[in-house]
Amino acid sequence: MRKILISSASFFALLGVVLTILPFGTIALLPIVLALVLAFFAFRISNLNQRRFTRIILIISAVTLLVVIGKDIFVKDVVAVDKQFEKNKVESKKDDIKDLEGL
Amino acid sequence: MKKIFFAIYFVFISIFVSAQIKSNERLVYAASYNMSGLLTHIAQVTMQTETVNTSKKTFLHLSWEAATFSKWDTFFKIRDLYETYVDPTTLRPSLYKRSISEGAYSKTEKYIFSPDGRTINSSSRKKNGAEAKSTFNVSGNTQDIISMIYKLRTVDLGALKPGQSKVFVIVFDQKEYPVSVKMLGRETISAGNLGAKDCFKMSISANTNKLKGTDKNLIWFTNDSRKIPVMVKFSIPVGTGQMLLSTAAGI
Repeated sequence: MRKILISSASFFALLGVVLTILPFGTIALLPIVLALVLAFFAFRISNLNQRRFTRIILIISAVTLLVVIGKDIFVKDVVAVDKQFEKNKVESKKDDIKDLEGL
Repeated sequence: MKKIFFAIYFVFISIFVSAQIKSNERLVYAASYNMSGLLTHIAQVTMQTETVNTSKKTFLHLSWEAATFSKWDTFFKIRDLYETYVDPTTLRPSLYKRSISEGAYSKTEKYIFSPDGRTINSSSRKKNGAEAKSTFNVSGNTQDIISMIYKLRTVDLGALKPGQSKVFVIVFDQKEYPVSVKMLGRETISAGNLGAKDCFKMSISANTNKLKGTDKNLIWFTNDSRKIPVMVKFSIPVGTGQMLLSTAAGI
């Protein structure tokens, strides 16, 4: 039972780290919360001398949880200035005027 | 006398319609995509209006621009642009363009409407593909998707009872589609810098596989003379999501 909990918690913690790095926003909270819950139960049923790994999973999950929440609160969504796109728009508009003149 | 009455009526209607869609209006939305039940912000959608003059005529340029937030650009960059040039009074389109750039996929389309609106000369080109041209006939009142939404804003939505519909005909992918817009009722929606607004909730449906479900494609317009679209919920073959108004300027 303990091994299943630790394996599952490790998997979800790793998934949480990957989703935290990728721009998936709060979707990363799902595996992180699962990892926290599973690691907590694994921690509870582990002997004192077996708790080191579950403690690491708990710390990693807690840190990624804070990072995801922090990113959601403090990092604003912005659109990068795309010079090529802006240039295309200007050129396209010139063509449009020509087409409209012909109507 | 009858002719004079109708002339006055049409002038009045023209003024009333044109007064609703202003030039230099800018509406900015945050678009979110539903991933495992959680809405994830992916793009910014900007709707703008601008007056464009040619030597013969004045047009209202309506545009929708969708651009992914910079955090997504590395993984899947979207730069879509839908544009239409319409008569400022009737909102009848003269030129409609669609430029799609989504990841490795890109496509451009151009539709030039004949002055009577009954014929369209279209051209389309996919990435590295040859240009395909065609001419096809349409009913005289055919709109494009953008001008349809703006035209909807000129309709007296308050007169529609829940369940009542209004039908538009639009051209999309070189085909004509009847689009039905049904009144569902009223709801209060948080509309960005406009605050909480009483809105008309409308359902959009069309006989196409591009929209999924019944009453799953929804749009909320403010219950005032401006009828600002404040929220859109969509259900398409690749998933569901929503667009929520962030800022409205020039209204």
